[in-house]
Amino acid sequence: MKQFEIIDISGDVGIKAFGGSIEEVFKNSAIGMYSLITDLEGVKGEKDISISVESNSLEGLLVSWLNELIFHFDAYNFIGKDIVILEMSDRKLKANVKGEEFDTERHGRKLLLKAATYHRLKVEKARDGWEADIIFDI
Amino acid sequence: MLSEKLKRIDDTRIEVPSDYKPGMRVKGIIYVDEVLEKALESQSVDQVANVATLPGIVGASMAMPDIHSGYGFAIGGVAAFDLDEGVVSPGGVGYDINCGVRLLRTNLMKNDVTPKLKDLVGILYNEIPSGVGSKGKIRLTSESERRLMLNGARWAVEEGYGEMSDLERIESGGCIAGADPDLISKKAYERGRAQQGTLGSGNHFLEIQYVDEIYDEKSADAIGLFEGQVTVMIHTGSRGFGHQVCTDFLEVMERAVSKYNIELPDRELACAPYKSSEAQDYLSAMRAAANYAWANRQCIMHWTREAFMDFFRTTPRELGMSLIYDVAHNIAKVEEHIVNGRKKKLIVHRKGSTRAFPPGHPDLPGAYRKIGQPVLIPGDMGRASFVLVGTEKAMSETFGSTCHGAGRMMSRHQAIKKAKGRAIWREMEDKGIIVRSAGRETLAEEMSEAYKDVSDVVDVVHKAGISKKVARLRPLGVIKG
Repeated sequence: MKQFEIIDISGDVGIKAFGGSIEEVFKNSAIGMYSLITDLEGVKGEKDISISVESNSLEGLLVSWLNELIFHFDAYNFIGKDIVILEMSDRKLKANVKGEEFDTERHGRKLLLKAATYHRLKVEKARDGWEADIIFDI
Repeated sequence: MLSEKLKRIDDTRIEVPSDYKPGMRVKGIIYVDEVLEKALESQSVDQVANVATLPGIVGASMAMPDIHSGYGFAIGGVAAFDLDEGVVSPGGVGYDINCGVRLLRTNLMKNDVTPKLKDLVGILYNEIPSGVGSKGKIRLTSESERRLMLNGARWAVEEGYGEMSDLERIESGGCIAGADPDLISKKAYERGRAQQGTLGSGNHFLEIQYVDEIYDEKSADAIGLFEGQVTVMIHTGSRGFGHQVCTDFLEVMERAVSKYNIELPDRELACAPYKSSEAQDYLSAMRAAANYAWANRQCIMHWTREAFMDFFRTTPRELGMSLIYDVAHNIAKVEEHIVNGRKKKLIVHRKGSTRAFPPGHPDLPGAYRKIGQPVLIPGDMGRASFVLVGTEKAMSETFGSTCHGAGRMMSRHQAIKKAKGRAIWREMEDKGIIVRSAGRETLAEEMSEAYKDVSDVVDVVHKAGISKKVARLRPLGVIKG
């Protein structure tokens, strides 16, 4: 199964993520997002961070999750590649992300993501699993 | 296909009537001529109509000719709200709080620069941190970040980045009062620590330009512009600090919408009554981010000035490199306007729209009191940018607002596809423009064809009388993120 595809939208860019389970969709949304920032082949899994987010809806949780990862990139230069979802409900998510410090010499520089938005936001059951649409402000 | 309900008012305006959508409290007005009407997306018209449903909106929900669809509010949008009945919405400002433009003049002529352009662009590219993952030369402690939030560009000058005299040539003096560092999240503090004095990416840039046409001699003279002269334009905002403030407060506003029972056609219009603590807290945090952005453009200007002095081995006096003006184009401000013949305080949201105050306005520095506020409109990297001045008509029609740029026409992905197999930097070089960018795909995304022609946009606001053309600037060297 495809992990994600790019959503083309005027001015910005989004990810449509796929997965057999809701956990997998959240994981693939993050992989899709990281791949907008740089090519993930060049990213090593040397360091890991723990993420814990909450929200009052499943859609809101997706936004909070991705914004948390954007925060770690923007504030601490952390770029992830391997994601393990440790615990998840409709309102709460705990995960472990493996990656390394972003190095402008070594990593290709693609898009600067300001935030994950509520624009056209969707998390839903699909024919064979789950799907999510998320648009990023560039 | 646009709805038949839209009515053309005159050559430069279309009305979105108040029965266009249920719940509209006022009509919408979009400033477009027949040429730009063809580029108008129905989604952005819907967004203008949606904003017209918000409580306490005054006059009309407006959009400028560089309109394109955004989140909730269209980009290019202007909406003013009553302080008693109205609301404040972070979506009406955007993620990049106080994204804006600053223009510097020099005594240099185009011919002084062109023979050495490549080297000059290279030096500026090295001096000004830009692009994804770049960190600035400044590291802020929490204490210095607090002072920065409260003092804006003044903080930068006090730290040695620039001159006190720069401050009067910045909108709001480079510091908007009422910022509260205690309302800023730990995350925003963290994101802000290493990003002061950085350009960012996307459509942000630093550009070496020359004046290639003057339309209004008297105003150009007052501003200090003449044909053939070299100028530098800086376009950036509050960086990750502002993005985090917006992200934080969108969550607050989501909750406020249900708390205050506000009915919204689109959840991205999330807002709170002006007088509520949620709205006041957002405004205090937004002001801190606006001040961060003014300091940011001040630092970048300072390093640009130093690099020019070094490169041309000259003195500040000889170089004559001084600030013309600095405008915010993503901001919400309390301003006084005339409504139904009476002076009234309103909260004006400008999202992708530039303030354009008229001659005589008390907020303008002495040098511009007679001609009106300089309005700086950046175009795409291959065509042109413009200097205009604000007018009385802007004050009476658009709450003292005008357009902010060219407006995107192509998605980033479309642009990248269109640029495939082409060397955009070489195409630009053939036109005499040297470009440097940190991002691999930035040049493709930002190529001229991806944007409306800024000349068309500026012609509409000029014809509509909501600002007046003064000069056209052509790019020579461009640094992108």
